[in-house]
Amino acid sequence: MGKRALLALGLFAGGAVVGTLAVAKEKLPEHLRELLELGMHPGHVFVDEGRDYYHNLKGPNGKTCATCHGQDGAKLEGAYAKMPRYYKDIDKVADIDLRILSCMTKYMGFDPKDKKFRKEYDKKLRVPLATYVASLSNGMKINVEIKHPKEKEMYELGKKIWFTRAGAREFSCAMCHTVLAGKRIRLQGLPNPVKAKSYNHWPAYRFGSDRMWTMEDRVTSCFKAYFLFTKRWDEKKDWVKKPPLYSKEVIAVELYMKHASNGGIIEVPGLLR
Amino acid sequence: MKKIALAGAVVGLGLLVACQPAAQKAEAQKPKKKLSKYEKFKIAFYQNQDKWQKYCSNEAQLVPQGISIEEFKKAMLATIKFPPGGKVMGDWKRGEKLFGDPKKGGRSRRGNCYACHCGDPQIIACGNIGPSLRGYGKRGIDPKQTYMRIYNSWAFNPCSAMPRLGYWGVLKPEEIADIVAFLHSPESPINR
Ligand code: HEC
Ligand code: HEC
Ligand code: HEC
Repeated sequence: MGKRALLALGLFAGGAVVGTLAVAKEKLPEHLRELLELGMHPGHVFVDEGRDYYHNLKGPNGKTCATCHGQDGAKLEGAYAKMPRYYKDIDKVADIDLRILSCMTKYMGFDPKDKKFRKEYDKKLRVPLATYVASLSNGMKINVEIKHPKEKEMYELGKKIWFTRAGAREFSCAMCHTVLAGKRIRLQGLPNPVKAKSYNHWPAYRFGSDRMWTMEDRVTSCFKAYFLFTKRWDEKKDWVKKPPLYSKEVIAVELYMKHASNGGIIEVPGLLR
Repeated sequence: MKKIALAGAVVGLGLLVACQPAAQKAEAQKPKKKLSKYEKFKIAFYQNQDKWQKYCSNEAQLVPQGISIEEFKKAMLATIKFPPGGKVMGDWKRGEKLFGDPKKGGRSRRGNCYACHCGDPQIIACGNIGPSLRGYGKRGIDPKQTYMRIYNSWAFNPCSAMPRLGYWGVLKPEEIADIVAFLHSPESPINR
């Protein structure tokens, strides 16, 4: 944590980050690009952390990820390029966040109802593990297939959600990312993740907030803009900011976007403004 | 006490079905089970989507499908409520805060007009989704028209990116009148 924060602080002091509008990597400010060339990507700390958990974090039954998936993730190379997908053992379409959670509860002996474990997974283990596993597919082409009936169902749901206008701000993913793409919301440029195949750089490290995010974090966070409510929108009392992690809706829209990114070369962790 | 006696009498008559309303009432008094985060999300995202948003949830996004534009506008126009006394111009200084720049005391996210519109030339952190509103008061637009647009933009432009802030109660009628004053008043930085 400290290392990351310090690095970010140094860059801010350099004045590189403030006021830039770059989103895509090619548009990164000079200083960040130089940093990348020096091999100093703040996201790599998370890959290392994830690799450490992968080999050393033991479940209550004594198993580690490496027990089943091989030393250095040997058997998971290329897996992320095909996710989200349907898994027979859990009878669900899962993205990387949910797939790893399912392995921990189904195969490593962690109790899915144990709140302490869930908190630890959601807040601490999830992002580094997902980033590490995703990095095992670096250089490969995204290749998501829509074959199983459950994949078809989820894809259709994702597409529907993409265009669904809801909440007291009448937003939809398509509103900001298709119709208004290229415009500026206050100072933030609006990307088109479907057209730009930008799934290839997720999970990504976001400089502005000094955080590593998986696509689940990105999508759930975008829902804040909708002003969703149960009775009547109220900033303090009735603001349903986000769907919870692993919601069907989040995974569905991920499937929709990642399928649109097919052919894109995976390059993670991404580095964003 | 009375209720129990009554229920007893009803049971006595063998009309068990008639007991149901009383049972329901008892249930309503029990503290309600707290909704999970996911249940709340589903209510917010699916149940609370209104039929007008459904007309706009298509690939075009900005054009309603399944209803004529005229019918849509007419129905939206009918939702507009005015402040007491029909006063559509309030206090421009309060309006400035609601317009939503943090530097001008606009801590609330409710109005957030700067996310999409430029206005006060001093505020450069402004979006370009909607047209610039600089000099808006000099354009000879009727303030009542401006009020209605902010209350329910879809009465003019169905499915617009501009939210129906009065319709959803995000802004109260009096607050919209304050914003109208900010847009029209000659002293407002929008028009100076
Ligand atoms: C006891 C064995 C076991 C352990 C331990 C285990 N998994 Fe799994 N994992 C599985 C099985 C079984 C599947 C499902 C394979 C399938 O259906 O293709 C799976 C699938 C996966 C996949 C998807 C692979 C693909 O090809 O799509 C990922 C990623 C994954 N596991 C990561 C992890 C991580 C990270 C850990 C440690 C936190 C872990 N697993 C621990 C058994 C295990
Ligand atoms: C109010 C506008 C808005 C809405 C609505 C919205 N987003 Fe976003 N989205 C943004 C902004 C702003 C960013 C960040 C751009 C940046 O980092 O500069 C973003 C970033 C993203 C990215 C990352 C793109 C990239 O280039 O890496 C994805 C993916 C994304 N959003 C998906 C979604 C999905 C899915 C939905 C619907 C559930 C959604 N967004 C709804 C504004 C929005
Ligand atoms: C999500 C973006 C968005 C937000 C937030 C927003 N607007 Fe708009 N606004 C638009 C768009 C797009 C238009 C043009 C299309 C239309 O008329 O609906 C517009 C049009 C207008 C117009 C008519 C302009 C003209 O040239 O005729 C006014 C006035 C206006 N907005 C005021 C406001 C005010 C005041 C707020 C804050 C309470 C606000 N808007 C918030 C997007 C937005």
